[in-house]
Amino acid sequence: MSTQPSKKSPASCSSSPPSLELRRISKRFGETRALSEADLVVFPGEIHALLGENGAGKTTLVSIAAGRLTADSGEVLRGGAHVSFRKARDARLAGLVLVPQHDLLIGAASVADNLAFLDSAAPFFESAGSRRARVARLARAFGLELGDADARADALPVGTRQRIEVAGALAGDPDVLILDEPTAVLSPDETSALFASLRKRADAGAAVVLITHRLAEVFAGADRLTLLARGRSVKTCRISETTPEEIGGLLLKNAEGAVRETEKKREKEEEKIFIEGVRGARPLELRGDMARGRSQTHPSKHAARSAAQHPDKSLALTGFAPNVTSAVRAEGISLSLSPGELLVLLAIDGNGADDIARAIAGLEPFSGRVEICGVTLPSSGNPLVFRAAGGAFVPADRREEGLVATLSLSENLALPNPPGRVLLDRAAMRTRAEERLGAFGVRFASPDVPAGSLSGGNQQKVVLARELARDPAILIAVHPTRGLDLASAAAVRSRILDACCAGSAALVVTADPDEAQLFDAPIRVVYRGRLSGELAPTTPAATLGRLMAGLEA
Amino acid sequence: MSGFLEVALLLAAPLLLAAAGELLLERAGSIQIGLEGTMLIGAFTAFAAARSGAGPHAALLAAAAAGLLAGAAFAAFAVAGRADPILVGTAWNLVAVGGTAFCYRLLAGVTGSVLEVRTLPALAFGLPAAALAVFVVPFVLEVFLARTRPGLALVAAGENPLALAATGGSVVAVRTAASVAAGALGALGGALLVLTVSPTFVEGVTAGRGFLALALVVFARWKPLRLVPGALLVAGATALQYRLQAGGSHIPYAVFLALPSLLALFALAFARGRGGAPKALGTPAP
Amino acid sequence: MRGESAVRRFAVAATALAAAAAALVGLAILAGASPLEALRALAEGAAGSTAALGETLTRATALVLTGVGASLAFRAGVLNIGLEGQFLAGAVAAAAVGPLLAGSALGARVAILAAAAFAGALWVAPAAYLEARRGVPEVLSTILLNLVAAAAVSGLVRGALQDPEGDYPQSRALSDAVRLAPLASGSRITAAVLIALALALLVTLLLQWTPFGLKLRATGLAPAAARAIGLPRARLRLLAFASSGALAGLAGGLEVMAVTGRLYDPFAAGAGYTGIAAALLGGSHPLAATASAVLFAALGAGSSAMQRDTGVPGALATIVPGVLVLAVLAARARLARKTT
Repeated sequence: MSTQPSKKSPASCSSSPPSLELRRISKRFGETRALSEADLVVFPGEIHALLGENGAGKTTLVSIAAGRLTADSGEVLRGGAHVSFRKARDARLAGLVLVPQHDLLIGAASVADNLAFLDSAAPFFESAGSRRARVARLARAFGLELGDADARADALPVGTRQRIEVAGALAGDPDVLILDEPTAVLSPDETSALFASLRKRADAGAAVVLITHRLAEVFAGADRLTLLARGRSVKTCRISETTPEEIGGLLLKNAEGAVRETEKKREKEEEKIFIEGVRGARPLELRGDMARGRSQTHPSKHAARSAAQHPDKSLALTGFAPNVTSAVRAEGISLSLSPGELLVLLAIDGNGADDIARAIAGLEPFSGRVEICGVTLPSSGNPLVFRAAGGAFVPADRREEGLVATLSLSENLALPNPPGRVLLDRAAMRTRAEERLGAFGVRFASPDVPAGSLSGGNQQKVVLARELARDPAILIAVHPTRGLDLASAAAVRSRILDACCAGSAALVVTADPDEAQLFDAPIRVVYRGRLSGELAPTTPAATLGRLMAGLEA
Repeated sequence: MSGFLEVALLLAAPLLLAAAGELLLERAGSIQIGLEGTMLIGAFTAFAAARSGAGPHAALLAAAAAGLLAGAAFAAFAVAGRADPILVGTAWNLVAVGGTAFCYRLLAGVTGSVLEVRTLPALAFGLPAAALAVFVVPFVLEVFLARTRPGLALVAAGENPLALAATGGSVVAVRTAASVAAGALGALGGALLVLTVSPTFVEGVTAGRGFLALALVVFARWKPLRLVPGALLVAGATALQYRLQAGGSHIPYAVFLALPSLLALFALAFARGRGGAPKALGTPAP
Repeated sequence: MRGESAVRRFAVAATALAAAAAALVGLAILAGASPLEALRALAEGAAGSTAALGETLTRATALVLTGVGASLAFRAGVLNIGLEGQFLAGAVAAAAVGPLLAGSALGARVAILAAAAFAGALWVAPAAYLEARRGVPEVLSTILLNLVAAAAVSGLVRGALQDPEGDYPQSRALSDAVRLAPLASGSRITAAVLIALALALLVTLLLQWTPFGLKLRATGLAPAAARAIGLPRARLRLLAFASSGALAGLAGGLEVMAVTGRLYDPFAAGAGYTGIAAALLGGSHPLAATASAVLFAALGAGSSAMQRDTGVPGALATIVPGVLVLAVLAARARLARKTT
């Protein structure tokens, strides 16, 4: 991170009244308590990081601040005065702008039209010239590269799109700017450029709230932070008053409640690793030692992998490149996996790793050559051929791509080739479901309940149970543990490792360096579509992090 | 050829008006495949108003009012109610076709004698002012969509509704407004039929023009200005057919009936992507 | 739909029936008739005698087949709004092939129905192709194909298919040997309705109890998952397109063979659209769609008698199905939002 925190901002905080105060905010969604008496206080001139695990309530809290949701109780103050925004529009008019995680642009419209759309101060009628002038003006004022004013938004790279959204939010000179995970899809350069623009705005007296998962960014670019855990604000302090270790420890400690008692042992082991990950911003020597110590706690699968004598490769890529329209495209990839071998592709989202996995699985077209056990897959992308050749796929989005949520568990497990010659053999389907789900430790009332009624972790186990039931030659798994509690994540990992012991090759995509190490298998980092060389699982997470960020070649 | 141009413009006007309304609604992300029904409602309302003593211009206004209500009713189901607009539109046609026939029978008696009404007076080219004004509508629509703030909001509702909601707009409000406007324009199109083309109402007087207008929107690839050549082509072909029929020609009328739909199908087949269809077309508001 | 609780289904059905009853009573009063009288006339006209019942079931035949066809397509996630056009294509095929056939009545009948089903499937093919290859939403293409079919019927009965022995815009009649004979004297009912009911049962069995049906439903419920899981999405959708088109085409063929005996213009307008309404009312379940189709047919048959006896316009038979469907859609959408 090239941008350094401004040293004057923290001092100015206490003197002026806060730009935005959220006091004792509570919010329920049905049975789920999203926020309980959470606080957030933001001062003019500061960049304030809002941190927390998935599901900690960060997005809910800022949505309430921006009038997109109404709190069940608690109060919202702006400049010391009570406000109650009924609609997002009221909040915008009062100078508070939220840039949400999802796409804000009209794909079919030009950059100029999109900025007119996002600018809350745009006039009723506006000439094309005036709209183009806005693009130039905003680009200049905030030092943002916004691209050609007449280009269609959906033809632009993701970084440019993100900058257009931020420029649109800044167009109305908001007093409070809230950004929900703006850096998730950005490269390090793009991230530094974004922080520089935000700092400019903060120096002009605005308050900036930034939701992020990346502690390194926070410690490089923010002035203060608030940590949310399970709907409560558990810590607020200046960056200079804390360390990444302390915040990382707090994040983990508060996630513990979600983990079952029986999994405590495994969780302890993970805790150690988690804290190591947090130390990513610290000197390397410390990290390396701890990582080496950890690698012995997991039973090594190296024996199984090296024992494989099969001459055929389970997966072989030659000059492979997914043909996708994404901003970042992987190219010229050649690699191969023998039976029992596991390879981890580690990458920040948006670097093309997901596309590699999806193209192998036949869900995207590709160029080059993909072979599974000697069978060449058609480059137009055909999931049927992939599977017929012995492939199995665990998608990133299990609700959309992994399962048919409204069909029962037994029906889901019976797909894609349900048993029965003429009529469905429902008895066989139930038996099979009970066996497989039991073996995978899925908690379910009956094989007849809809798959969508299970928790996220159990759904993921159902997907794995279905995919591994085929004894695949190669398993492709994309973010297999994303969004799962620690216990479920560990269970999913060990299922994948078991499959490798049984002779399957596996390609796992993940965005988490610690997760990558836990597979205890070679790691290749994907940065802007390029694969690094093979790295040992003992490679320090800090090194992996730097590779992911493109800081080391 | 004086008669030819006049007839072509007269036939194009109702089609163009209804298609313009539908285009607006579809750009906002909803779709009313029951446009035929809305046109029938407009035609019948104008007819009923004229029969009960209103002048042709008052009849036009009455039809517009009925169209506003029809658009609001459709939006209540398909926009605010989040029911699938395609399915609502299918049912809408049944209700409108049946409803107008029912009311017409009540007015005309079960035997159904032909009841004539006064038509709009011609202003220029043998066309009434209302029919001439119709040809301005696509240009107004183009400027509205391309250059105004509410126009951008409407495009956002059809392309990226989440973005509209996030920037403080209401997708439901925008689509409802578009539906109300589309209802009024569709009903006015139906009313023009009764008040210019054939001065009476019969069951199914719109004769598939609502569906033709749907086809035109696709043919125009959701761009307002492209509606004009499309509507003129269809109306011109129909007018030509009248002349050829009078002259004893044997080019089957069916060719002209099928022409706009075939053109729209080809437009869809050879356009890139989804042929310019709004991304969120037919999806419920967030 | 699947997964709908019994309570929810009851609430939806109650809302729909209340709306339909209100529409019936309201319209009868509007027409200046006694609602009770009108309802009695309606019921008698629909089921008061063998002839009335026969009339209802005769009208039901086409609606059952299009309703089942629509259900099959909807369950696979195929929004085939073009059943009207496919119905007309089937009718054209029957009217074109029928008069040419001599020889055994059974063979001729089978050939006519096969031609009709094939024509229906063929008529949906451009929509299936455009959707699969070009990503054109089938809603748009099938509506356009409806218009083309209507235009084609209008042209054919004045052109290639026109009966040379008359000036009317209609095709040559099928011979009496080929036409289906009434099952009972004094009634129009023929074996056509039995064919329709048998196919409704068959499609139910197919959807709920066969491996193919499960794959079809999975494709409709979660297209992205179906693709990733390795279901042959394109093939399943094509089969759904083709079989719903074939059912609608068969309906058109049976209409010619059992009811009209020939093609004219406009031909049985609305059978396709009302079939879609029946599928919607039945939650895309073939048997429920069949029941809805019979209900709509009863309304149609009864309303003629009602118009004759009480002066309430028969167009009521078109309004009520629309009102029923709108009420169901609104009630379902409302309940869905309450629970999420």
